[in-house]
Amino acid sequence: MSERAPRLLELADDELVLGWHESEWTGIAPTLEEDVAFSSIAQNEIGHARAAYELAAADLGTDADALAFDRRPEEYRCAPLVELRLLDWAHAIARRWLYEEADAVRIAALKADTDPELAGLAAKIDREEAYHRMHAAMWHERLRHEPRFREAVEELWPYAVALLPQELRPELAARTGLALPSDTLLQGKERGEHTPQLAELWDEMTSVRRSAPAGARW
Amino acid sequence: MPASEVPRDEQAFLDYVQSGGKVEATDWMPDEYRARLIKFIEMHANSELMGVLPEREWILRAPTLQRKLALTAKVQDEAGHAQLIYRVVEDLGKPRERCLEDLVSGKAKFHNVFHYPTRTWGDVGVIAWLVDAAAIISQKALLKCSYAPYARIMKKICWEESFHILHGRDVVLALVTGTPAQFELVQEALNRWWGPLMQFHGHTIPADEDPMVIWRIKSQGNEEARQQFLEGYVPQIRELGLEIPDPKLRRREDGVWEYTEPDWDELRSVVTGHGPKTAERLAFRRRFLEQERWVREAVLAA
Repeated sequence: MSERAPRLLELADDELVLGWHESEWTGIAPTLEEDVAFSSIAQNEIGHARAAYELAAADLGTDADALAFDRRPEEYRCAPLVELRLLDWAHAIARRWLYEEADAVRIAALKADTDPELAGLAAKIDREEAYHRMHAAMWHERLRHEPRFREAVEELWPYAVALLPQELRPELAARTGLALPSDTLLQGKERGEHTPQLAELWDEMTSVRRSAPAGARW
Repeated sequence: MPASEVPRDEQAFLDYVQSGGKVEATDWMPDEYRARLIKFIEMHANSELMGVLPEREWILRAPTLQRKLALTAKVQDEAGHAQLIYRVVEDLGKPRERCLEDLVSGKAKFHNVFHYPTRTWGDVGVIAWLVDAAAIISQKALLKCSYAPYARIMKKICWEESFHILHGRDVVLALVTGTPAQFELVQEALNRWWGPLMQFHGHTIPADEDPMVIWRIKSQGNEEARQQFLEGYVPQIRELGLEIPDPKLRRREDGVWEYTEPDWDELRSVVTGHGPKTAERLAFRRRFLEQERWVREAVLAA
């Protein structure tokens, strides 16, 4: 595996899995405006995943769809934060906000990378993520005094921290104004570990594709 | 703003719309006209919203990244259409919240095709291609609607729906040229969807007896729409090697399509809330409407 492929797959898998979860709100969000907004965000995330898979696929001699669909669940590199299936608005929007904050830190680091393709991809992604951050910040502002939103943020905060490598975590804490959690709270939430939801998601996500022999056109 | 030309008298108003006159939200209109508009447009909005649910289930299962993106975009369009159309209803005097309450309580209706299950990936192609094709025929006729705000948003909607048809046809094309099992996904879906598709445009009512045509809300009769659908799509379906499950279907020399009488009892039963998926989908939508009420309240209070 090339040196940058694991980093690309982390990014791509996060965006793919989160993109799917966000698309699940289409038709059932609190307002029709949010149905449309979440769907739009989901499309961007899946588009980012595709761009990152394409770059990784070129290094690995495969294609983006094969990376997105044809690996075993345990081979995915997504963080547990994005795997959680959160079908209540307080949690969904808390994750949206936390993910965008963590992603901003990650993307900034990637933009500064010496690999021009990696930095270019990050810059491209960042242009759309800027709108996601505005959307998330608006919801954070609206709901930050709501007890159920605050509880959801508290519950999901360790997951958001665990999405980033150690060296980037203090920056996330500074951005959000939240204190870094103890190691005990991070257990089971670090990248490399998976929640049971991932296997369920994978099973459903790949069911159509697996129903025809490998190489079938869809 | 120029003074409205719309006459403030019921008979004169009728003459006005029948001679091609357009009505704006701020104009005077007869109560019957307003009531019929609200009922019709609200059902359209409900259909766009409920139409999200059968396809939404398949976004996760889309077999390639491209299909996932295309399907997500299509479903987003439907939600966006619902938003636009509910706004037209709101301007006519019925708030969105009340439309949604009437929808989830089963009081308001939505189109027959959204009461059925989507069983396979074949359904995803058949819905986007043929259900949207049937819908766009009705919607194109609404471009001439006497109520101008509705006609205006229909332009954007028809434009987007035409992309859905292309997406659907592309999904179908990939399957019919794939493995025999993939071909069978489409044929089996078509077998299930043909009945609802033939019922979609409704009973054959002569246009001059249809109040929706009399008020120039609709500009074409139901049978005219169905004939247009058959004329446009039967040859395309057959060209792909698919079989249409109606032994009586044939095009007469005069160009009129003959077909087995659609099952109107099924249509009546389905649109009055007894379709195979009606209760489940309404319960699902109701669950989220209630579960997220606090969010709308929090936003309004802010």
